[in-house]
Amino acid sequence: MAEAPVVTDPFTEAANRLKTLNKVMTTKAAIAQTPKELVWTLNKAKLYRYTPVLPKEKRHPVPLLLVFALMNRPYILDLRPGHSFVEYMVNKGYDLYLLDWGVPGPEDKNLKFDDYTLEYMPRAVRKLKAVSGSEEFSLLGWCIGAILTTIYAALRGDDGLRNLILLTAPLDFSNKQGLTFARWVDERYFDIDKVLGAFGNMPGEMIDYGAKALKPVENYVGNYVKLWDNLDDPRMVEAWHAMNTWVTDNVPLAGGAFRQLIVDLYRNDKLMRGELIIRGQRVDLSRIHANLLTVIAEGDHITPSCQSEPIMSKVSSRDRELFRINGGHIGIMAGSGAAKHTWPHIDGWLAPRSR
Amino acid sequence: MGDEPTQNGKRFDPMEPWRGVRDVYMDAWAKTMVDMVNSEAYAQASGAMLDTYLTVSSPFREAIEKAMLKTLEQLAMPSRADIVSIAERMTNIEMRLDDMDDKLDNIQRLIAQPGAPPRKELARAPRQKKAVTTKQAEPTKRGKK
Repeated sequence: MAEAPVVTDPFTEAANRLKTLNKVMTTKAAIAQTPKELVWTLNKAKLYRYTPVLPKEKRHPVPLLLVFALMNRPYILDLRPGHSFVEYMVNKGYDLYLLDWGVPGPEDKNLKFDDYTLEYMPRAVRKLKAVSGSEEFSLLGWCIGAILTTIYAALRGDDGLRNLILLTAPLDFSNKQGLTFARWVDERYFDIDKVLGAFGNMPGEMIDYGAKALKPVENYVGNYVKLWDNLDDPRMVEAWHAMNTWVTDNVPLAGGAFRQLIVDLYRNDKLMRGELIIRGQRVDLSRIHANLLTVIAEGDHITPSCQSEPIMSKVSSRDRELFRINGGHIGIMAGSGAAKHTWPHIDGWLAPRSR
Repeated sequence: MGDEPTQNGKRFDPMEPWRGVRDVYMDAWAKTMVDMVNSEAYAQASGAMLDTYLTVSSPFREAIEKAMLKTLEQLAMPSRADIVSIAERMTNIEMRLDDMDDKLDNIQRLIAQPGAPPRKELARAPRQKKAVTTKQAEPTKRGKK
């Protein structure tokens, strides 16, 4: 027997929409739900190991360490069940680790790339090796995390790094005209001493403003219009809620690292020119020998492709691949097409190299 | 009634044409704004605004900091600088503990596998020799940020 259609009057419909809107705007979505255990901590940094779901004989022997940006929460990699890169990779048999940098406090204002790459990362890798029992490992760096992993790979290439995956990596800053950020932080307009003198660390809200101001209408208006238009679609609302939870959860960037990012990289392009000095050592990209996969998002307005491409000709890796995919800076890993395109490609590249 | 489906199964929405106009207008607006924030003038203006804010707020911030410092001193309570100093020392202690933890891990490993070489001396697994490749994925929807 056919069911009678549910008839709702316009007022009830409007009330339901407003209730949904109120919920997603004022609450946090349940995120980062893949089971994990804490295996190492240092200051604010934490190393998590995701609980394997496959028996040991079916898992890849080479563990994978995820390193995300310093100024955003890393749970974008594990946004929500069914839409999580972490969950996907664990199900594919990877022994997966995540380095969460945490939230820097006033006492961390002097932390630099030097500390992150030569103090924190080697210790985290050391623990990863002890826990996994593997002397080799793979690294996946995303955004600023890709800068850190690149520096690490160049300085600690003999540390057992077998595979290096760089996602939307801002490494080349030579094309000043193509980089809006570079224009904003030009020394003629942006007094970094004054900013860091006032705040110590670069406030998360200011970084968030900078990222959103690159596309102000999309981020400040279009995003909410899109939500309003789709309030009747529970799947769309759920996705929006989770993404909004992440976008609004900002983290400050340690003052020392921010200064290096602006002065050494955005203004002077020292990494690509081979002039970046980390604890007295020159970062020489030709010392990177690990198998390399660079993923470029064609629609990335935060890290245009011109920033990620040049590393391919600088490294000494015999096995390297440049993978282009349509999508935005975050969308390629957390958008609706990630599970169909980006994740399978990463798995397809990494699996034979993790045996 | 408004709940009656139309021929293609969708309910008639009187706002649909308006949405179309809105989207066209927003696209044009978005492009204009992207051009604006990409300009030298915007960089100069936003820099000047930030600079002015920091200059104007500086005396107030300093006055509040001094007053707070005096108050904490009077109450015999630690200042922010004191807590920062302790936190830095804690991190240094954590690093020492981490070094000790590593040494213990190594000892455990050597006990379990007598004669095992130190970690750094382990050979790297041979890599496959491959040419540089460039791949293009199928188009997907654009991401949010």
